[in-house]
Amino acid sequence: MDGLERYRDIVPEFGSFLEAMSRSLPVTARINTLKTDRDRLIFRLTAAKVPCRPFSWYDLGLKLELEKPGNLIENLMGHIHVQEEISMVSPIVLDPKPEERVLDMCAAPGSKTTQIASMMENRGLLVANDPANTRVASLRSNCERAGAINVVVTRYDGRRFPSQKFDRVLVDAPCTGQGMARKDLSVLGRWSLKRSLGLQRLQRPLLKRAMELAKPGGTVVYSTCTFAPEENEAVVSWALDQVRRVRLEKVLVKGLESCPGLVEWNGSLFGDEMEKCARYYPHQNDTGGFFVAKLIKE
Amino acid sequence: MSQSSLKNRSPFQPLDWAEVVEMWESRFGIPLSIFEGASFYRKGRNVWIFSLPEIPDLRCESVGLRFMSVRGRVWKPTTYALQLFGHVATKNAVDLGPDQAEKFIAGERQSLEAELEDGYVVVSYQGEVLGCGLYSRGELVSQLPKERRIMKEGIENCLSSGGS
Repeated sequence: MDGLERYRDIVPEFGSFLEAMSRSLPVTARINTLKTDRDRLIFRLTAAKVPCRPFSWYDLGLKLELEKPGNLIENLMGHIHVQEEISMVSPIVLDPKPEERVLDMCAAPGSKTTQIASMMENRGLLVANDPANTRVASLRSNCERAGAINVVVTRYDGRRFPSQKFDRVLVDAPCTGQGMARKDLSVLGRWSLKRSLGLQRLQRPLLKRAMELAKPGGTVVYSTCTFAPEENEAVVSWALDQVRRVRLEKVLVKGLESCPGLVEWNGSLFGDEMEKCARYYPHQNDTGGFFVAKLIKE
Repeated sequence: MSQSSLKNRSPFQPLDWAEVVEMWESRFGIPLSIFEGASFYRKGRNVWIFSLPEIPDLRCESVGLRFMSVRGRVWKPTTYALQLFGHVATKNAVDLGPDQAEKFIAGERQSLEAELEDGYVVVSYQGEVLGCGLYSRGELVSQLPKERRIMKEGIENCLSSGGS
């Protein structure tokens, strides 16, 4: 559990946190409403004797009791998308509507992109951006399997994304991924303060650009799957100082337990309004770890 | 860069809506209305379906969903487009039994007696579209993309036992 000791004072029930981090993640998937509906899908899985249980907090999320959900025929047909439970939070907080213009700035491999496309009912425009050529292949493949016809894939450096206006922008930023340790324990060994600070230098201008691209009244959601405040509150508070007329809105997803964002960390003051952000720890909802901030442009 | 310069350089060339959807209507009996509001673009051999009447002023890698590919006068629907629109096909569509579906999903060819014209067909199982097949002289050849095939050893938890 390298690199987690530093969070002893900010994580409630630290022992349970460490214990949860050592367990593997439950297998979860999202029902793709572009191709099926919830009742039909659950009926099919039940008939096929695939043990599944809907999430208590999100009616399109499913816990699956099987090892290889990728081998399900429903996966081949794009009726489900295998996706970690807590990562379904960012699109829900983003709350995209059909007919809107939405940008997913760091989109690959496309789990959140396809969730957004289905929330938009395949209408409007969803720009799925990712600069890495290698990751764009998986992004395109996932969008095709989901049946998304409202997605264009672009490969800009998000920090210099062309000047266009969007109703909503998601920045699901590259991060040290500590919250994904239940899937891949090696992320903890790779963590260092230097890596967090290196990524912060990328995360800050990404979020700043996202705020500039939002229309007045538009929404920007910033999320990571790491616990490091350097990549979370330290990014959001910096960006709020850079772009005028942007305010934080409280993140609240009914049925999910969370902790407020940090007001300070190791002597750095982030401001009281950071409490409006949400930190999801693995032992709270038996998920991966996650951070989400919601910003509104005035 | 001005708006027009980027648009003119776009490798995605707009296609006539009616021309594209009439091909699908004539082959599969898919009603034109299901494509209302969508637009079609061609890049190389691929035709794409997109949700808006115009593509945005950006350098796009892809625009919507690959809908079909065209080689000379022959066109082939993509599995993904059939999964989205094939459920309303009224001809050149076949629903397989469990054993047949298993072979299709594994990417195999099989003999099949069905009322189909030779050419590309909509293949489904228990009323849900699996993808594109090629039917010719009593034989059905799976056209599922290789990365989507599920080999037989993996299939046990895949086909619904309720199907037999």
